[in-house]
Amino acid sequence: MRRWLLHPRLTLLVRLTLGVTFILAALPKIGDPPALAKTIWAYQLVPAFALNPMALVLPWLELLCGLALVAGTWVRAAALWVGALLLAFSLALAFNLAQQRPIDCGCFGAAGPRTDAERLADMRWVLLRDLGLLLLVAQVLAATAPRKP
Amino acid sequence: MRPPWHSTTLRILTLGGTALLAALIANRLAAPARRLAWRTALPLSPALAKPPGELERRAPTLPKVPPSAPEPHPQGARPAAAAPATKPAAPPVPEQAPTAPAPITEISSQEAWQAFQAGLPFLDARRSGEFTEGHLPGAWNTPVWEADLDDRLLDFKAQRRPGAGDAIVIYCSGGDCQDSQLLAEKLLAQGYFHLLIYREGYPDWVARSRPVERGG
Repeated sequence: MRRWLLHPRLTLLVRLTLGVTFILAALPKIGDPPALAKTIWAYQLVPAFALNPMALVLPWLELLCGLALVAGTWVRAAALWVGALLLAFSLALAFNLAQQRPIDCGCFGAAGPRTDAERLADMRWVLLRDLGLLLLVAQVLAATAPRKP
Repeated sequence: MRPPWHSTTLRILTLGGTALLAALIANRLAAPARRLAWRTALPLSPALAKPPGELERRAPTLPKVPPSAPEPHPQGARPAAAAPATKPAAPPVPEQAPTAPAPITEISSQEAWQAFQAGLPFLDARRSGEFTEGHLPGAWNTPVWEADLDDRLLDFKAQRRPGAGDAIVIYCSGGDCQDSQLLAEKLLAQGYFHLLIYREGYPDWVARSRPVERGG
């Protein structure tokens, strides 16, 4: 079981999935930082002074980590970043979902106008997806764990 | 033997630093409509981020809540921010702005039409891309989230020369759009105290087949 879970081919597939997901998520946000700032503001979790810097840097971080995962260089560092980001996204989403506050995920850029019910339903799916991606990160981290001497 | 942990830490920091550098360069090169100021120029008080629909639904039930289980709205330290939040509690009969001297007042679609015909200035708080696709004739393009908002507001003031007490109508895309509110808060902080928010905004204007203008 353990051997199968840490199989190099599986790791490659997981790396590519994570990497491509993050690259696709980053591109629309890099193209429109003001929209991302507005989305992050709606989460009501980021202090005003950190809002715009976050909206500007976060997508680039996603892109770089995605590229590293696809290219297979600095995999562990990129996976740690991706894991931290996914954890933060999940917590932010769960916090708003717990309060039944409908917000746009903003994961893959700005969404069109939707009803509150649609937003809340989306938030549940996105949370589930983020947790699934976190499992992928765990696989990459386990496969790239430094060997004990 | 090199401890592997160290190199991973270094790579994590390098990834973060490179992202920061890339963001600095990209934001500098971005078109004005896609540029974001590193320091926000908006008064982002947390009370504003509540969806307005929620306020409207909840506010009328407030008096019925027993005192043992109060759920007060978090009101900011600034009384001005609280004023519009309590406004939807009023009866559906629209209050006329002159009789209610709240600095930020919501107006109905009909009142917005009257204001338009009276030639009041209209500020469009949506993204400039949306403005280009269509806006109220003669409206000013003042996208709250874009980096050149301050310049655009200066332009508006220089050309229109509104007095501090002159009425200014602000609209965005209706629904739960908060952009008008943000812009009103900003103008209030700059000394303007007769700000009218056309809550239903541009979609309502279009739905009523009122005239629109296209282009930047």
